[in-house]
Amino acid sequence: MPLKELDPLLHSQLRLAIVSLLVSVEEAEFTYLKAETNATAGNLSVQLQKLKEAGYIEIEKSFKDNYPQTMCKITSKGLKAFDTYVKDIQHYLNLKTKK
Amino acid sequence: MEEKELNINESLSIINSMINRAQNNLSDNSFYFIFWGWLVFSSALIHYCLLQLEVEKAYCVWLLMPLGGIVSFIYGARKKKKEKVKTYLGTYMTYLWGSLGISLLLVLFMMEKIGVTPVYSFLLIIYGIGTFVSGGMLRFKPLINGGLICFLLSVVSVFVDFDIQLLLIAAAILVSYIIPGHLLKAKFN
Repeated sequence: MPLKELDPLLHSQLRLAIVSLLVSVEEAEFTYLKAETNATAGNLSVQLQKLKEAGYIEIEKSFKDNYPQTMCKITSKGLKAFDTYVKDIQHYLNLKTKK
Repeated sequence: MEEKELNINESLSIINSMINRAQNNLSDNSFYFIFWGWLVFSSALIHYCLLQLEVEKAYCVWLLMPLGGIVSFIYGARKKKKEKVKTYLGTYMTYLWGSLGISLLLVLFMMEKIGVTPVYSFLLIIYGIGTFVSGGMLRFKPLINGGLICFLLSVVSVFVDFDIQLLLIAAAILVSYIIPGHLLKAKFN
């Protein structure tokens, strides 16, 4: 399988890192994702927005102790996309070893 | 982390490292085991000693439990405030201990009808479920073994007098809460 057929939304360093973190937890704060991915706040916001627009994640903004809090959670669509992405990679690797 | 073209190996390495990071985020649950362990252990022993001294209303020592509930609640609320990530494990733990807390209160409520003696055997089963399931979820053998010992002691407790049941409770708590709790804390440190 050519690499270009992989889900372009997930086949990006930061977005893949975000989704990999979110499949492992129930929900995570923006600051947690920022710390774990070492991304800048600006870049992280942009990528989160792209994932949200695709329906892969849900973002909930609220206030906690008078500070804004952004919680992110993967959706079932996001989980399915991640699963497909991993399967596509496995498929690609299998093809490569057969060659 | 900057945007750049990924190859398959890089993709796999990102997935792997992020999932590992998220899994290492397990919070230290040892406080509850240590705190409740010592509280119940001392209460059972004090109750036993007061019974030997023929002190009236020796059972009043268990009034420490609601106090323990308040301390636990405050600790939990403070911890939750600091948490930046909610894990599935944390949610399962809350439901597990919530249901055990409710079962404990229901059994105590039934004490009037069913008598004191069976109640302490049921309590041992409830303690055992808590540590056995928690041990399984945390993949921590000392808690699993502690749970099994609680189940065993619950059977023994049916055949002994009430004051000996108190000693069984203390022994069960020592091996299933206090020792594994301290081992769990050491593991996190």
